[in-house]
Amino acid sequence: MRRELDERSLSLIGEGPDARPDDARFAALALDMFAYQYQHNAPYQRLCDALGRQPERVSDWTQIPPVPTGAFKEARLACFAPERDVRVFRTSGSTTAERGALHLDTLALYEASLLATFDAYLCQGERLRFAVLAAPASEAPDSSLSYMFDCALRELGAPGSRFWVHTGGWEPDALCEELRSQQQPLLVAGTAFAFVHLVDQLAARGERLRLPPGSRVLETGGFKGRSRELSRAELHGAIEHALGVPCERIVNQYGMCELGSQFYEDSLVRGRASQVKRVPPWVRTRVVDPGSLADLPPGEPGVLVHYDLANTGSVLAVQTSDLGRQCDGGFEVLGRIQGAEARGCSLAADLLLGGAA
Amino acid sequence: MNAGAELRHAARGLDPERVVRALDQAFAAWRAPESQWRRRLAEALELYSREVLDEGIVRGLEHWNADALRAIRSREISGHVRPPELTALWLAGAIPPAAFSAIALPLLAGSAVYARPSSSDSHGPALFAASLTDADPAVGACVALGQDEQLLDQADAVVAYGRDETLESVRSRVPAARIFVGYGHRISVAAVGREADLVSAAEQVAHDVSLYDGRGCLSPAYVLVDDAPRGRARALAEALAEALEYLRGKLPRGRLQPGEEAALHELRATHAMSEATRVWLSRDGTDWGVLLGLESIRPPPGLLRNVPVVPVTGSQGLARWCAGLAPHLSSLAVGGWPDAAGALARIGLQSGASRLCPLGALQLPRLEWRHDGRGAIEPLLRSLDVEPEGAR
Repeated sequence: MRRELDERSLSLIGEGPDARPDDARFAALALDMFAYQYQHNAPYQRLCDALGRQPERVSDWTQIPPVPTGAFKEARLACFAPERDVRVFRTSGSTTAERGALHLDTLALYEASLLATFDAYLCQGERLRFAVLAAPASEAPDSSLSYMFDCALRELGAPGSRFWVHTGGWEPDALCEELRSQQQPLLVAGTAFAFVHLVDQLAARGERLRLPPGSRVLETGGFKGRSRELSRAELHGAIEHALGVPCERIVNQYGMCELGSQFYEDSLVRGRASQVKRVPPWVRTRVVDPGSLADLPPGEPGVLVHYDLANTGSVLAVQTSDLGRQCDGGFEVLGRIQGAEARGCSLAADLLLGGAA
Repeated sequence: MNAGAELRHAARGLDPERVVRALDQAFAAWRAPESQWRRRLAEALELYSREVLDEGIVRGLEHWNADALRAIRSREISGHVRPPELTALWLAGAIPPAAFSAIALPLLAGSAVYARPSSSDSHGPALFAASLTDADPAVGACVALGQDEQLLDQADAVVAYGRDETLESVRSRVPAARIFVGYGHRISVAAVGREADLVSAAEQVAHDVSLYDGRGCLSPAYVLVDDAPRGRARALAEALAEALEYLRGKLPRGRLQPGEEAALHELRATHAMSEATRVWLSRDGTDWGVLLGLESIRPPPGLLRNVPVVPVTGSQGLARWCAGLAPHLSSLAVGGWPDAAGALARIGLQSGASRLCPLGALQLPRLEWRHDGRGAIEPLLRSLDVEPEGAR
């Protein structure tokens, strides 16, 4: 059953992000995958039972119960035993207990999905030299971002591509020299906070670079308190100013540890700056009411829920803590849901009590 | 004359009985069948449904009357005492009767009141002040609301409600010579004993959970059930789920913020996925949840009508569990426990509770309640002891 699901997903992914979406095919595979995950993922089965959403009662993929990302911290959401883990990606956080995890028993789907979208929305078939502002997977084995960059660099990067950040720090002098000296288009990819450090470094040197025409930038991952925070427009403006890469060639990627697939802005495809995240045919993204999880009309802000057929071994339906809205060709991310305001004593009580007895 | 001086002037020499009558009239106006004040509050405050506000205020203020007000004065004012001329109130939360009593009690002591409303509800305090003016303009003139921090600094007494950090921050601004009274966040517990009829106990607990949508210090953060014979906790949980579903229609929940909804989805999913928990969840929304756990594990407290049920073993189990909540326990609602008068009062005292009440009455405290174990107005008063000559 699992092998068959993997093969069906891989086949869908293999047709590429630009393949015409086939709703019936997606629905059939999503429902089969849900039935499998219900049967083999005990915590998820308990959740579905509590909600009265067992496979025999679910006839539409939108009825598949999503798991809130926060719940990935509390339970092992995998359809296989721990000894079959080949990789565990964890969310950021200072202790394991605070970190959500995606357990993988195969990397085939993860890699297929990431390479297909990375190529379609960034490389566009060109073999570019990568300068990655993140640590390699060998130094950050539980970072899905590092794994993604590692895989993309290995499979899609031109000779000379490399990582410029390490667990011990980064190499600003050598990186600046690399960026300064290139004659061929580059892909500079990294976390948002790494770009802040880079543009600050260049500003401190009084230097503005002009990367070769055709270069592009991928920024992702937010700031996580590791640099000053900039709005998207400020960050892209600062990158354009520092590296000479125009905003329409700066792409934001949206992803999360709990998902096997990522979403990219389609600026390079459209040839103009865009904030629309494209949804590949093996994923569906719903924008829902925060309480009832019912679909909202197009354009109305709501919570983003993703159904990702690359998540064969965990749960395919993931409820994010992000607000967004549907728009032509995909969705826009509007920001994180703000934490519950302490409008009642009960919300403060957990802090008073300080955890479990 | 500045606002502080005007308030002091208004309260100076005001007959206490006149204050009692004005408060009595204002409370009655809020309880009245077609109360304009409740209607206006429901229109302004989107946090609760109209039904919840009606039920909470009509039943909550049922015994708030002139007799109760006079009883407080006679219980707590004796000998030579002087009330503050001006009391500054730092309000918190969004439970309307709690704000009403916070304003009423300094007035009853003989003080003018300057109140800083909470960010969650500025409407309740403002409308209560307006209802006082409607009852007696001279008494209404003794109350003002605003954010003027200088006025807060000028007050003779400061009463603050809220998180510990808020209280500390306010306390640090009050000179030692002035009176400071702080009421921190608390939680409450409903406890169902082995002699309780489970269906009726569940209905009463559901009422306590549903009023004000589980937002108050008096909302049951946990429901403890004597699980003897074994299975009673589960039976209570099932009955509670039914009762909460019934009240979903009768006392609908107010609208939540997206962050609150997100927190509820996460809480419910986490409990549902746990092997140690059995859950009953509302369908098509997060309206209510019953989360049955184990005696040995203290789950996070209830959140917005999603409440943990915990089996305990007899009065000893109850005592042990409540002791773990000290010193944050406010009220303990009980039903069906043997020897209620003696043993339960000891459990309440040992766990820092200041109120023991029946199931179903958690959200309906008497005006005379000595909140946090202190007098209702006595902490605001300066007393003078007069030692007779030749007594030594």
